Amino acid sequence: MTVKVLSLSSKRATSRRKWFSKVVTPWLFILPILALYLTVVIGPSLAAVYYSMTDWSGIGKAEFIGLKNFQEILRDANYLKALLNNLRWLAIFVTAPFALALIAASMLRGVKKGGMVFRTLLFIPYIIPGVVAASIWRNLVSPRVGIGSVLASWGIPGLDFAFLGSTKTALYTIAFIDNWHFWGYLMVLFLAAMQAIPSDLYDAAKVDGANRWQEFRHVTIPGIRPTLVFMLMMVAVWSFLTFDYIWILTQGGPARSSEVLSTYLYKQAFNRFEAGYASAIGLTMSLFAGMVIGIFVWLRRRGWDI
Amino acid sequence: MKNRFWFNLCSLVVVLSLLATACARQATEEAKPVVEVTEAPVEATQPPAPAEKVSISFYFTPDEGSSSSCWMDNAIVPFNEQSETVFVDGVAQMNSWETTRTALAGGAGPDVVMTPGPSFVYELVQAGQLLALDQFAETYGWKDTFVDWALSLGEVEGKLYSLPAELETLVLYYNKTLFEKNGWQPPKTIDELWALAEKMQAAGVIPFAHSNADWRPANEWHVGEFLNHVAGPEKVYEALTGKRPWTDPDFVKAIELLNEAQQKGWFMGSLEMYYTSPWDDWHNALGKGEAAMNIEGTWSASDINEVYFSEENGGNEWDWIPVPSTSGKAIFDIGIGSTWSINAASKHPEAVAEFFTYLFSPEVQTRLLVECGTAPAPVHLDAEAMVGVDARIARIFEEFGKASDAGDYGYTTWTFWPPKSDVYIYEEIEKVWANEITPLEYLEGLDKLFQEEFKAGEIPPIPKR
Repeated sequence: MTVKVLSLSSKRATSRRKWFSKVVTPWLFILPILALYLTVVIGPSLAAVYYSMTDWSGIGKAEFIGLKNFQEILRDANYLKALLNNLRWLAIFVTAPFALALIAASMLRGVKKGGMVFRTLLFIPYIIPGVVAASIWRNLVSPRVGIGSVLASWGIPGLDFAFLGSTKTALYTIAFIDNWHFWGYLMVLFLAAMQAIPSDLYDAAKVDGANRWQEFRHVTIPGIRPTLVFMLMMVAVWSFLTFDYIWILTQGGPARSSEVLSTYLYKQAFNRFEAGYASAIGLTMSLFAGMVIGIFVWLRRRGWDI
Repeated sequence: MKNRFWFNLCSLVVVLSLLATACARQATEEAKPVVEVTEAPVEATQPPAPAEKVSISFYFTPDEGSSSSCWMDNAIVPFNEQSETVFVDGVAQMNSWETTRTALAGGAGPDVVMTPGPSFVYELVQAGQLLALDQFAETYGWKDTFVDWALSLGEVEGKLYSLPAELETLVLYYNKTLFEKNGWQPPKTIDELWALAEKMQAAGVIPFAHSNADWRPANEWHVGEFLNHVAGPEKVYEALTGKRPWTDPDFVKAIELLNEAQQKGWFMGSLEMYYTSPWDDWHNALGKGEAAMNIEGTWSASDINEVYFSEENGGNEWDWIPVPSTSGKAIFDIGIGSTWSINAASKHPEAVAEFFTYLFSPEVQTRLLVECGTAPAPVHLDAEAMVGVDARIARIFEEFGKASDAGDYGYTTWTFWPPKSDVYIYEEIEKVWANEITPLEYLEGLDKLFQEEFKAGEIPPIPKR
């Protein structure tokens, strides 16, 4: 009997130890980061949802006003202008840097000697801090001291124009600068993905008489599709959150021609003391980013190989 | 199943803990501060306070040059040396206003609260974060120290909450050498200014050195100047006190004239250059004589004198005149830069008041102007004490003082317009310049927003005429 009780007690202790190591211990490891995440992500997110339904100025008390901020957004022409600029930004960034990165990566894939030098050179802009890169480019596109003025002094006019000062060109100039900074990152990712494609496939394609373009289309693209699609999704999400280059170079001007939702949000919160309204704008930005992710998830569930 | 139970339990505990923390913070927000915000000094510029002295703190943003250290050496260090009871601890913060605001929201923050302007004071007072200063003003005689209209700018709902730290006005700086070379006379009226600008442009000289590339709100300097100097400060006063709409034809004319000047490329040669010329470029253009005039505030007087009219830039001479007006009368628009208040949560408000009395004394303000080129607070300065200040700069403050005593003053937008209207003024004017809206439509939008803020009582105190 005693033996039986001891055995039962020992079994319980063993089971408790197993349960502790399997259930509690992992949680103990996760707990610090979970607490941090809840504090700096979930907590502020929930607070933003609440403040989006208040008239909070950013200082002091907040009064609940229901959905008035969202109704205001629907009437706000400046918001619409900023959203359209975000969509233009999205269109630029899901095309130009991808095209450049794919071309460069597929060219560098076959380079055996000095490949690393090219990769490093093309990747350097990405590791330059945004503030530094923006300041450099602000001078480079200046009509007084920039590339345009040098060309003009050599008798090649046309580029000595204040691209950041025109409502027609400001947004596209900033997009060009941000793209210069960003595309090297995409190139490195695509190159890594391409190097994982078995060389047999390229050999087979060559045997079948495929040219470079056909190789690229029928071997490379399918081979890097998961990376490509994932980055398309991420870039689409980031396009709704872009802020730094625009803020540094034009702060959304001139005449809101380069205003995007994030710069508009910042101005509402910190210049106009409309933190409640800014929270509502922030929620719509999250909604757009969520929609992008939703579309990709939906396509995957529909059987798309992405 | 068991796993799921523990997962749920742990999640619940964490969420409840967070909620409890948040609720505790919320519940005590009005009562008294319970959350101590960690003050992370970037660089402590002062030695620790001696044990017997009461220590009070303020945050400041260190600059790249020497102005903040000069300011500390001429205001804080002498005070700490002479006071037997109070020690002022200046704490450098990379963005002192944002840090102060965040700390105040957490119920903590420095004893001395510096804000970028009176409209920010209003918001802080509404949140109960500032202490009324009326009692201290009475005790220390601040009403005699400051000029007549100055203290009223710090009032919210009839009580004094802030002291204006920096007196600002805009004048027309000009390249005197260039004027003399071309036989141009400094203009007094708007008509004369227009005729002169036409001549300058025809002569290949940029009429106005100005840009908003480094400071987008610089747009409002000219909107404010044109409203006050074309329509007249009386009309602006009436509009600010709700007796006249902003759509008045004289205001429309003012914005039309400003738009005309922009369309003609009078500011830096073109609208595009106006949006992109860096600060140094347009000031150097004035110093070198590529541009002839510059309507700007007193904050630049020292740099114009010492940096931009240098030998390197041709050794030209500069001078200034009041910004021309329709009537030809000299009008100086009143502007206030930063303001100083006492944190409602300060444990030593008396000590702060003692420090303020010292800081805003004419002697210290004169010393700061002489030694550091800092624009003084609107206090009664002793003109004779301004030895060492460039005569032209001293004359600005002298004439400004006389004009304000005589009631010949206007109103700068960042001091007297409520926050939303102020932002509208400098953001939306660019749509007029881009021909997206007309001057009248611009002013209709301003009027709508202003009336909302007027009804909500958010207009800073307007000095009576």
